Amino acid sequence: MEAPQYVAARVQQALAEDGRTHELGIRVDIRGDQLFLRGQVSGAGQRERLAQVAHEAAPELHLHNEIRVVEASEPGEDERLD
Amino acid sequence: MSVLTDLRIAAVGDIHLGEDDRGQFRKKIGGIEERADVLMLAGDLTRHGTLEEGRVVADELRGLPIPVVAVLGNHDYHSDLQYEIAGELRDAGVVVLDDDGAVIQCGDRKLGVVGGKGFGGGFAGKCASEFGEREIKNFVAHTRYIAESWKVALKEIVAEKRVVLSHYSPIKETLEGEPPEIYPFLGSYLLAEAVDTAGADLILHGHAHKGSEKGMTPGGIRVRNVALPVLGRAYAVYCLDCESGF
Repeated sequence: MEAPQYVAARVQQALAEDGRTHELGIRVDIRGDQLFLRGQVSGAGQRERLAQVAHEAAPELHLHNEIRVVEASEPGEDERLD
Repeated sequence: MSVLTDLRIAAVGDIHLGEDDRGQFRKKIGGIEERADVLMLAGDLTRHGTLEEGRVVADELRGLPIPVVAVLGNHDYHSDLQYEIAGELRDAGVVVLDDDGAVIQCGDRKLGVVGGKGFGGGFAGKCASEFGEREIKNFVAHTRYIAESWKVALKEIVAEKRVVLSHYSPIKETLEGEPPEIYPFLGSYLLAEAVDTAGADLILHGHAHKGSEKGMTPGGIRVRNVALPVLGRAYAVYCLDCESGF
């Protein structure tokens, strides 16, 4: 059986290199037959694409998509750099 | 008589627009002219670096009522179309920096902006050196060349205030939150050293989505990581004191 560290590395590499995602900052954890994706992206579509690519890279694992979608809010308060 | 007024710099990086994001960014920056005198974009404007995505970004920025200055990021280089993307942005009126500088007229004030993509290598004491294999030497030499270009551009530019715009980080403080193991791929101290040598009022960068917003160089220049996931808001606004009538 392939060591989980190598599977996690392969999934992470797929997320970074697959033309559908190109997402570098996603954390991939594997515990037993469970695969967890964590991180932040700016849209729901990207969150789903990441799950799809991760599933294809490790179809034998049960995937938990814990990636958060960050909605950019209003600009907020200015910062004075005196 | 001189009067102190603020120069308001809106900044955001890593907006990663895809072809399905058309119209979305423009909505987020609606009314920006009420809040800022200039908009700076710290790279990773596209997701995959395709020309179609570059055109989406250009269309979102076209005709904005305030000047826009941008640098590209590693994502914008991915399809080897960085020059074409920069061309699309320039056609839309965006000032695109590529290891050089520009003076932006903001009302009656002149703002000098210097910068480019930047690059990695790591931070003092824990970084790569120009030694050994050709690949390592090329990696470090690329950053060294960029840093030197910025230093020259900063020394040459004549403006009331000077801001450096980068994608990669010049310091590790604004990377806090990222795994330390990947710091060498997020920035280089050579960038900070160059800016500290030549002087600037503010450094803006992106790239580190899990990093922190605020830091400073060893020389005391304020650094802000404006990556969109770090800001959690459409853009940040930084105000620099200026004497009007310069």
